[in-house]
Amino acid sequence: MRNSKKEIKEALKKWEDEILNPRVQKFKLDKSPTSFYTPLSSDSSHFLEKVGFPGEFPYTAGNSPFEFWRAYAEFGAKLNYRSDWGGTGRSGKYGGFGTPADYRDYLLKMQSMGRKGGPNIAFDLVTQCGYDSDSTFAEGEVGRVGVAVDSLQDFAVIYEAFTGELDIDKVPSNFTINAPAAVLIAMYVCLAKKRGIPLDKLTGTPQNDILKEFIARGTYIYPPAQSMRLFRDTCVFCCKHMPEFNINSIGGYHIREAGATRVQDLAFSMANGIAYIKAGLAGGLGVDEFAPAFTFNAFGGSMEIYKEIAFQRAARRMWAHILRDRFHAKNPKSMQIRQPITAHIGCSSTTLQRPLNNLARAVVGGMAAGMSGAIPGAFPPFDEPLGLGHSQEATQLQQDASRIMVFEAKVTDVCDPWAGSYFMESLTDKIEEDALAELEKIEKMGGAVAAIENGYMPRAVAKSAYERQKKIEKQEELVVGVNCFVGEHEIDVSINRLVEATYNPELMKTAEERQKANLARLKRERNGKAVLTSLRDLKVQAEDKDKNLMPAICECVENDATLQEISDVLREVLGEAQPMKL
Amino acid sequence: MGEGSKIRVLIAKPGLDGHERGAHVVVYGLRDEGFEVIYTGIRQSPAQIVSAAVQEDVDVVGLSILSGAHISLTKKVMQGLKAKGADDILVTVGGIIPEEDKKTLKKMGVEGVFTSGAKIKDIAAFIRAKLRESS
Repeated sequence: MRNSKKEIKEALKKWEDEILNPRVQKFKLDKSPTSFYTPLSSDSSHFLEKVGFPGEFPYTAGNSPFEFWRAYAEFGAKLNYRSDWGGTGRSGKYGGFGTPADYRDYLLKMQSMGRKGGPNIAFDLVTQCGYDSDSTFAEGEVGRVGVAVDSLQDFAVIYEAFTGELDIDKVPSNFTINAPAAVLIAMYVCLAKKRGIPLDKLTGTPQNDILKEFIARGTYIYPPAQSMRLFRDTCVFCCKHMPEFNINSIGGYHIREAGATRVQDLAFSMANGIAYIKAGLAGGLGVDEFAPAFTFNAFGGSMEIYKEIAFQRAARRMWAHILRDRFHAKNPKSMQIRQPITAHIGCSSTTLQRPLNNLARAVVGGMAAGMSGAIPGAFPPFDEPLGLGHSQEATQLQQDASRIMVFEAKVTDVCDPWAGSYFMESLTDKIEEDALAELEKIEKMGGAVAAIENGYMPRAVAKSAYERQKKIEKQEELVVGVNCFVGEHEIDVSINRLVEATYNPELMKTAEERQKANLARLKRERNGKAVLTSLRDLKVQAEDKDKNLMPAICECVENDATLQEISDVLREVLGEAQPMKL
Repeated sequence: MGEGSKIRVLIAKPGLDGHERGAHVVVYGLRDEGFEVIYTGIRQSPAQIVSAAVQEDVDVVGLSILSGAHISLTKKVMQGLKAKGADDILVTVGGIIPEEDKKTLKKMGVEGVFTSGAKIKDIAAFIRAKLRESS
């Protein structure tokens, strides 16, 4: 039997009058605490245009009917295969600490325990900000949040853990590096040359997403527009010489973690993505030459499971339309958001209070991921907010939670399970509509670079962070164990940490001194003249805006110029970004 | 601090850590609590923070650190303030601070340590009470 819209509308009215409103009145509420959606809430007559099939434009339902991991999931389970340990052909666990030798030794130890996969390198803040370990800015920070890398020699030491079946033509590398991305890519190129590996065999992903550093996270060096020149140069270089290597990993994740709302996260990420596409085009490339090598790191997340699922669907549809309609991409790969995960709760949803509860929270995020096209990863491990690194116990619980969602709850047996839901489709439309309006505002300002230069995007994020804090303090948003269900009668459940620290704390303590000694030795032993000549050449090249700086940077790196020496030349020519005040 | 004048606070981000959410929230929040709040922005050296604190004649310095470098950076700020004869300034630290390190910071002379979940009104009340004690 078919219902007409008129019939449904009348029935809805009747239901509101006879069932809903009397109930609201009975409990003396201003409005109902729940919603109910009907065919009136969303227009399902455009299914093919708005949702489509998984793997087909506009990719709302997913980039494919199932991803690689899903194909062999049960097979792997029976073999006790730990996907988090990586394997040949995959990048391993994100990490890094101490000196390059410290991290190399740690990786070798992990490999001997069965953990394979390419390096997924966290660099210390000194490296991320373009300084050397002997800089005054480096004091107390060397090797702390990642490994210290000052030169090609340091880089090569880390890679001593990657030879033979784990050589760089066989495993991909991930570099969480932004402002100095060009220098780190150059190091990778020079390492390949030293090893006699052709560049077209290299795989991997640099983060290379400088714009979000200005909106959140803060590891910028040069002003926004000048930073985009370096992005253009890496984009063109990678596209021409390293066709299997990704160009960037665009992140809304950091923007949301810094306080952005869901809509700001989506709009700002899209604005940044558009700016990167324009930079590639400005470098003389055709959109389908380079856009397929764009990746997304992750968007942000929250505890609101329905909205995060809708967010992922809206994001896929938006990017696909932007690439097809605005940039006339033809290659489906150009239009897809390639990201390792989809929805999650975000680290800022975890609480320091009663931290084991974060496991329950992460499972909610995992459900959202599983229902929006990815592995239901229970990210992050529950001990995230303790600031001690992820314990083996927390990582084990995280892995098991994910497995339970896949194999016992069978969350990922259906692709886009919410497709066609009156509620989810209307929510997806709403998020997309709001994000498009916000994106238009940014485009009117002149795009992402302009909206950073005038302070709009970073300030908007700061304000949203404060709005959220006010809501928590006023109990308009409830967070269990933080602003509700607190008191003596609640139990703070704790578990032991088998391994107290992820990395050897003694090594962490002495890393700075040892790395400074490494650097002093390098500066003594290298060919000083060659360093100066190549730095001088870099400066000349940098002064010409149209020159691609990658060859000159490679030359500096090959001659053992340090990261800071290279960055200082560029600081002199490109200028330095100033921190935002409030 | 004169009678009736506004409490002056410097919120500072020492070191290279660029995570500003906590600092931003505290800046806006304490302003709404009626304090005069100056924000340094990220990537300030301890020496820059000390000289800003002295120049701006603040009552409170709030350091926000999420990089794990809180011990060494805070120590330098405390030493710098002392060297300038400004160790009467109330110093608080916010960020990701493991329990063990809270004690170390307090031994250095840090009066308050605020971590995730801290409320603005509690931070404001703490500052008012501490300044009342010392005046």
